[in-house]
Amino acid sequence: MASGTENEEILDDELDQPDGAGFVPPIIVARYGVLTALTAAVTFATFIYFAPTKGYFNMGDSMVFFCAFAFGWRAGAICGGVGSAVADVLLGAGFFAPYTFLAKGSEGLVAGIIGRLNGGSKLAKVLGVAAGGSCMVVTYLLCEVYLLDVGWGAALAEAPGNVIQVIVGGTVGILLAWYVKRVYPASGAL
Amino acid sequence: MTRFEDLYTEADTFLHRLDPRVKMASVLMLSLLAIIMSALTYLLVLLTFIFVLLLLARSSYRKTTFAMKFVLRFMALIAILWPLFDPSGTPVLIRLGPVVITEPGIWRGLASAARVGCLATVWYILIFTTSQRDLVRGLVKLGLRFDFGLALAIALRYFPTFGTVMDSIIDAQRSRGMEFEKGNIFVRARKYVAVLGPAIVSALKTADMLALALQSRAYGARRNRTYLRELNMRPSDYVALVAALAMFIVPAIAKYAFSIPI
Amino acid sequence: MNVSIAAQSPPIISLQNARFSYEGGVEALRGVSLNVARGENVAIVGGNGSGKTTLAKHLNGLLKPSSGKVLIGGEETSTTSVATLARTVGYVFQNPDYQLFCTSVSEEVRFGPKNMGFGHDDESALAERALKLMGISHLREQSPVSLSLGDRRKVAIASVLATSPRVLVLDEPTTGLDSVESAQLMATLGVLRSEGMTIVLITHDMRLVAQHMDRVIVMSEGRIAFDAGVEEAFSDPDRLKRCKLLAPPITVLAQRLQAQGLLTEGATTPLQLVEQLVRVRGEQQ
Repeated sequence: MASGTENEEILDDELDQPDGAGFVPPIIVARYGVLTALTAAVTFATFIYFAPTKGYFNMGDSMVFFCAFAFGWRAGAICGGVGSAVADVLLGAGFFAPYTFLAKGSEGLVAGIIGRLNGGSKLAKVLGVAAGGSCMVVTYLLCEVYLLDVGWGAALAEAPGNVIQVIVGGTVGILLAWYVKRVYPASGAL
Repeated sequence: MTRFEDLYTEADTFLHRLDPRVKMASVLMLSLLAIIMSALTYLLVLLTFIFVLLLLARSSYRKTTFAMKFVLRFMALIAILWPLFDPSGTPVLIRLGPVVITEPGIWRGLASAARVGCLATVWYILIFTTSQRDLVRGLVKLGLRFDFGLALAIALRYFPTFGTVMDSIIDAQRSRGMEFEKGNIFVRARKYVAVLGPAIVSALKTADMLALALQSRAYGARRNRTYLRELNMRPSDYVALVAALAMFIVPAIAKYAFSIPI
Repeated sequence: MNVSIAAQSPPIISLQNARFSYEGGVEALRGVSLNVARGENVAIVGGNGSGKTTLAKHLNGLLKPSSGKVLIGGEETSTTSVATLARTVGYVFQNPDYQLFCTSVSEEVRFGPKNMGFGHDDESALAERALKLMGISHLREQSPVSLSLGDRRKVAIASVLATSPRVLVLDEPTTGLDSVESAQLMATLGVLRSEGMTIVLITHDMRLVAQHMDRVIVMSEGRIAFDAGVEEAFSDPDRLKRCKLLAPPITVLAQRLQAQGLLTEGATTPLQLVEQLVRVRGEQQ
């Protein structure tokens, strides 16, 4: 992975890579690993928490947006996509994992690109949530209809829940990015 | 998070002994098979076959129901809603204004539900019988970059840890009078900032420590690292691989080359 | 133990044959009965997995007994919300990082009172008092995450104290503190104690127990192995060992000296030991 964002460049310098093995710096491996784990854990835990009253609602999207806003589109796509997919497997919805990977991965990717424009302004983040969220909802819809072949009925039945998840997750994701940047600047989160 | 359970159980069945790469290939083949099949009967046969494999993997009753837990609701949804959106074919059973329900529509709905059932459960043949370590090792052998594999291994390792962390944070905030059960979904979600904030900070601190540990163990010192335990394909692995490939290829040829409806 | 208070008012904490099993079947409490009087200072000790944290989580309703009763201030926890119980019982978690989430210390300390709806003026007064008690008024504007572990722990305790509880439960409050910080913390608890606060301390540090607590409840395999005053609790090394515990070094030393006939009574703190030695010397002369 080439160093693209400012944040990763700083880390590359700091970490004095051993002579050109070409691996990603250890801090990136570790950080992507734990953020993936946390995305999965949040999806899993909040799913259980909201399950009795709110059906299929979970807070996983807030982690996808957080990763995207704080650490860029790569983190959004990888940690958000893989983390959400792992949660699917562990929740007993493994058949959804590949589609979740595509849907949440694209959500994180798009939110990460748009949300960090203009130095990550508030407007950019809101637009990032809207664009990334749309990607997620549409990807799920298309995957369910054309790849999983569940028919438009079942696919559309899932969509409103996804939209609510984007709105709630996006709000919380923006708050989290702001929070972590403020209280733990050493993490290099933007 | 207390409901989380480790899906992998140690045992000594032929599925456990099989090379993880072969298991991944088999799951892929069976999934593709489910996708190309459209006859309800054959899909039910495949679903039964998958369950036989799960039984052979000695997965407990609890785990088998776990694998079916979410998909059952989804299958019901498909079976009910499909006919409403698929008015093609005859005989027409019900005509209510714009809604037309046909008999083939109902069968197609059931077939689609069975297909989703297959796709949902076939995964767990792999997950129930393969340890995290073998899973990651198999992926790395299949060409996943070592550093990405390592990140995945870290993710799987820390998932239960962070689950416990979140539980503790929720307990701590409740102890200070925070009520997560109150308010509408937006109010409740905002309260989660008090949980996710500390969780993220402690996760990032963990990452900083892990990075130091990786460096001190000469991570990235050489590109072609060696392994203590290599994965080696045994003759039985090849047999299983060929069988899995045949299970997809033969029906595929029958369907697309000879137009046999399956 | 403050016997006069203990004898008069009804117990603030009362467990009656409380049992608890975690999901998945592990029985963590197997019939626990105990009373704690107002103003008492109780240590809950025991090996890992003995059920001490499970017991502590019953004290503010985070866990509800599967059978038996837990009464806090006379109210049964199984029918009372955690938020309501939090007005009576303050619970300080072992890891302050799992609790602190605000961007400034003062905001953090106000969080609890705000949840409980004390009103703005009371909130400020309570927060100020808690900050002062913990000696961290000067950190008011800092971000809790950036503080040292000792200070983070103080903020965590202050944020619980600000809800003005009558009982304070502390889970391993000295882990990771150096000896000066640890002594400071215990001194603060001493102040609270003199104000009549009931303190329940979960700890592995027997020296702390010997120095600062009145009563020891030893947990073993989900049951109370024994419940006694500090001196009595540490008097039988074999019994302690069966519960995976060791007496504090001073107690062991005093026991050895007693065995040699150099002391007539045991001791649990350095001060007691010195007093004993002085007395013995006085008698010899």
